[in-house]
Amino acid sequence: MKKVLAIVLSMVMALGLLAGCGSSSSSASAEAPDGSSKAETESKSDGDVSIRVILWDYSNVSYFKEIFAAFEESHPGMKVDVVEASAAEYDDLIQVKLSSKENYDVVFTKGTPALSALIAKGHMMPLDDFISSDPDFDKTKYAGLVDQLSLDGKVYGIPFRKDNHLLYYNKDLFDAQKVEYPKDGMTMDEFYELAKKMTYGEGADKVYGAHYHVWPGIVSNPAKRTGVYSTLDDTVDSLKPYYETVLKMQDEGLIMDYGELKATNTHYSGVFYNQQVAMMPIGTWYINMLLEHADFNWGVCSLPSVEGLPNEAAAIGGVTPVSIGAYAAHPQEAWELIKFLTGEEGAKILANCGILPGYSCDAVNEIFDSLASKKPGVPENLSKYINIEKHIVEEPMSPTGREVSKINDEEHSLIMTNSISLEDGLKEWDERLAELKK
Amino acid sequence: MAEKAVKSRKKPKMKYSLKQNLIAYSFILPNFIGFLCLTFVPILFSFILSVCEWDAGNASAITFVGLDNFRAMADDPTFKIATKNTFIYTLGVVPATMILSLLIAMLLNCNIKGRTFFRSVVFFPYVASLVAVGVVWNALFHPSNGPVNQLLAALGVENLPRWAASTTWAMPTLILLTIWKNVGYYTIVYLAALQGVPKELYEASRIDGASPWQRFKNITWPMVTPTTFFVVVMLTIFTFKVFDIMYITTQGGPGRSTQVLVYHIYNKAFISQEYGYASALAMILFVIVLVVTLVQFRVEKKFTDYL
Repeated sequence: MKKVLAIVLSMVMALGLLAGCGSSSSSASAEAPDGSSKAETESKSDGDVSIRVILWDYSNVSYFKEIFAAFEESHPGMKVDVVEASAAEYDDLIQVKLSSKENYDVVFTKGTPALSALIAKGHMMPLDDFISSDPDFDKTKYAGLVDQLSLDGKVYGIPFRKDNHLLYYNKDLFDAQKVEYPKDGMTMDEFYELAKKMTYGEGADKVYGAHYHVWPGIVSNPAKRTGVYSTLDDTVDSLKPYYETVLKMQDEGLIMDYGELKATNTHYSGVFYNQQVAMMPIGTWYINMLLEHADFNWGVCSLPSVEGLPNEAAAIGGVTPVSIGAYAAHPQEAWELIKFLTGEEGAKILANCGILPGYSCDAVNEIFDSLASKKPGVPENLSKYINIEKHIVEEPMSPTGREVSKINDEEHSLIMTNSISLEDGLKEWDERLAELKK
Repeated sequence: MAEKAVKSRKKPKMKYSLKQNLIAYSFILPNFIGFLCLTFVPILFSFILSVCEWDAGNASAITFVGLDNFRAMADDPTFKIATKNTFIYTLGVVPATMILSLLIAMLLNCNIKGRTFFRSVVFFPYVASLVAVGVVWNALFHPSNGPVNQLLAALGVENLPRWAASTTWAMPTLILLTIWKNVGYYTIVYLAALQGVPKELYEASRIDGASPWQRFKNITWPMVTPTTFFVVVMLTIFTFKVFDIMYITTQGGPGRSTQVLVYHIYNKAFISQEYGYASALAMILFVIVLVVTLVQFRVEKKFTDYL
């Protein structure tokens, strides 16, 4: 009897393990739809079209909930069914889910490399027909980004968010040193001189004139902005003057050492909050972070460049595209939702959270300009930097985008750690990129 | 007693042994199913993928390409760099870890005060979280503010090494970290072996007037040889499949100076999405580890003949 019991028990254990496998694999896919919205969807679903949206960060931020609620309000008969995936594994997860042809009407992607990879596998629906047949949609409102979200002549995404890289500076530090603030359209030499003037102090109290975060894009974005360099078409040779300036600044201690930043995993946000650096080039997402954390006066100006390109000439930065999945059950409704997300109403909700929407309009500019009156220390002229007609995507669409990023990271680290001379580094960099194109 | 009772009746005996077997199998089953689903099938799939091309899309997109993946390795400079780095790492870690753990084990085997305390101290790095260890090491070896370089500077060393921030020193830094982290575990393995060495051998040799070195050479070393082989094989396999240490501390950099084979496999599979090529690389790694281990077993047979 006991033995029978033992067999039964161990069978149960074995089955339990199998069941365990099943549930753990489904939780590994990190599906965590918001309980309340899911319940709502089910209760009202009779006759309603439910639009399945896959995204990340849904539970961390308020704007998605606000936009979806506003959409459901203004579009009777349509419901938004949210599937939230973990942010860290989003790129891989979405790949797997779409490979098994799961039905997602609206798909968010983290940027152009991830979107390109999905398009290359046929997981995304071209949007050209929707765009051309919809009189309500005006692609001129997106600073030229819609055309840049295309691959092989077809548009696959509409920008939900965009970012422009700017030079942030700490006004208090400049005032204390009686140095004039940085200006729009500085040349690299002017920028270097300014950084030299603003580097002072010793040891723990040292203030660095500037801060270059470890991303290769921080060095190459000014060159991309002036149009002399694109990760896809050009040789990295045009980056030479930029690297020369940055390496000189590093040698002279005007910026923190790359290798040390990398070794200590230093985040750019902290060094600026702690007033350890006077100037820092980084994207517009930092505005939102500064609103929360900065207790000093700060300002922004356009990125310096070799040619001294004026601010209005171009903006450079990343994009968060939103697209329609290739296996969507309700593509037409998905388009309606995308139009809403990336239109004026969605843009206003995003802007109110201090986030730069893909859509440009006066309302968004006003919201950004009004930030100065809400919080001390914030500059009054932010709209000047978020409302630029020509917006260049930092990483152009390409099926090999993720590999290009990896090579850029590796070669950038060689050059910045002085492991290789600048000439040899740029040469090796070009050779590796050329190898990839073959 | 029980045996007699069973013998007297034949039929129930069959049933009994069957029952016994079933119970045994049912206890193995959970583990076996886990192994089958999560280890064996993926390995098999990887074997198949190594002669195919696949981008993790539909299973129907898997195309047979023969040995193309293996031929492509000849034109892959990162593969050569990664293989070289893996061998440097293995040669740096294995002998040093083995010798150090044997030495520490011999010290801790002596009758010293606070023996248990020191044993715990030695074992501690092994149980510490690698993520935490990586952060602490990065701080210790910080090129300008780290205590290691400040000590070296105080000792009058010029041209201080830039450790993880230079292509020359990044790999030695990781080798040091790995040795420190693993010595504790192999010390415990050696301690167990040392305690198995009969005391009489030492007593007899002492009476015969053997020096400490002679005692080590003629008693300790031969007696722990099987353990030494275990340690070397385990360490070799461990160093060939290393990935986490690089992923946490240097991400393979600066440049590609700390990219090892498994890191390259990871990049090829999950960044470039060339699953076929990545599987082929995994096969190469498998063959390397297999050959090294087989050679080690051969050598072991030769050296432990006397046992």
